[in-house]
Amino acid sequence: MVRFKNRYVLCEVVSEDPRCRQCIEDRTLGHAVRDAIARVHGDYGLACCSISFTVKYLNAYTGTVLLRCRKDSYRLLCSALPFVRYLENRAQRYPCFLNTLHVGGTVRTCQKFLIQYNRTQLLRLLQNCSNEEERQCIQKSLLSCSLTEEQSQSGDEEEDDGTE
Amino acid sequence: QNILPVCFSVGYSAVALNHVIDFKEKKQEIVKPVSPSELFPSLPIVQGTTKRIKVLTRLTLVVSDPSHCNLLRSTSANIRLYDIIAVFPKTEKLFHIACTTLDVDLVCINVTEKLPFYFRRPPVNMAIDRGIYFELLYTPAIKDSTMRRYTISNAISLMQVCKGKNIVISSAAERALELRGPYDVANLGLLFGLSEGEAKAAVSTNCRATMLHGETRKSACGVVYTVKKPRKVEEEETAVPACKKAKTQA
Repeated sequence: MVRFKNRYVLCEVVSEDPRCRQCIEDRTLGHAVRDAIARVHGDYGLACCSISFTVKYLNAYTGTVLLRCRKDSYRLLCSALPFVRYLENRAQRYPCFLNTLHVGGTVRTCQKFLIQYNRTQLLRLLQNCSNEEERQCIQKSLLSCSLTEEQSQSGDEEEDDGTE
Repeated sequence: QNILPVCFSVGYSAVALNHVIDFKEKKQEIVKPVSPSELFPSLPIVQGTTKRIKVLTRLTLVVSDPSHCNLLRSTSANIRLYDIIAVFPKTEKLFHIACTTLDVDLVCINVTEKLPFYFRRPPVNMAIDRGIYFELLYTPAIKDSTMRRYTISNAISLMQVCKGKNIVISSAAERALELRGPYDVANLGLLFGLSEGEAKAAVSTNCRATMLHGETRKSACGVVYTVKKPRKVEEEETAVPACKKAKTQA
């Protein structure tokens, strides 16, 4: 059967500036990634990678991004991701970098990975917790994270603080 | 100071702090390395994926003259305190000496300007036999476009000679935002001409081998430490001097 195979790249936006999180949007991010591909691989790379390139999922609180591209050109995309240096939004530049977490063939595998990853992050936050209420919040959300059928694309645990 | 927490959160399990000694200026003393426990009171930082973070100290000597190498042979006590020693040769002759006779763990390859010499196969093969690794930096490539071209061309010419073995990719990050995660650095290795397995090794197994090489250099010559390697624990058990012959110098 002829089917277009895609690769979904899961990344995390890491930045020092807390305002950067608020300005993460799919357009700015897509623009920054395309810009990086153009700088590294030139016109050919940009054209190859943007055949089926979209930002599928974005979580501004944790800075999680899911990108989609064709299977034939995902290497070009992955090798250009380290070159993203800043996000630009309405003439404001926020320096940041993208940390690739996982590359998967479907959204569902990426979602499973994201849930496990968030669980380990929550555990880490639990250790650094200072007061008791935060601790209880985190424990509650740890116990409640799971993959249910209704959710379409987003992972379904709550984040209590977006300072990740 | 603020780079290290970012390293840890991104997923590195061992970090080496680098001191660069340049010989072009007047005679410099090798300073005692700053011990990591002075920098971080809470050094055994438990991490998300592995148990403990190692912070090592590293010395880089920029040599442009054979007389500078004498420093390595001298029994200066301060050199012994560094975990990893790297040399940055500037001429072909020094590259040859570094690969064949010098007592180092890493040979740095210049990425910021066009190499004045071509790599030849004999010294590179001897270095591979001795267990010395070649190091490439990636932070200049991220910062500047001309540096990127030099980095890629130097890296690819190195690959053509050494066939992708014994490569370590490291960052010379001065700020927290110049760092990249290990998966990303392995993808950068693909740009440099490595195959996928080699690129992943350049970030993981080769680096660990360099650390072990530094340890064997610090201790008596010719001893190989066997380490217990359950996946999550970073502590090493010292040795049963193994019966395997060491790959390093006599």
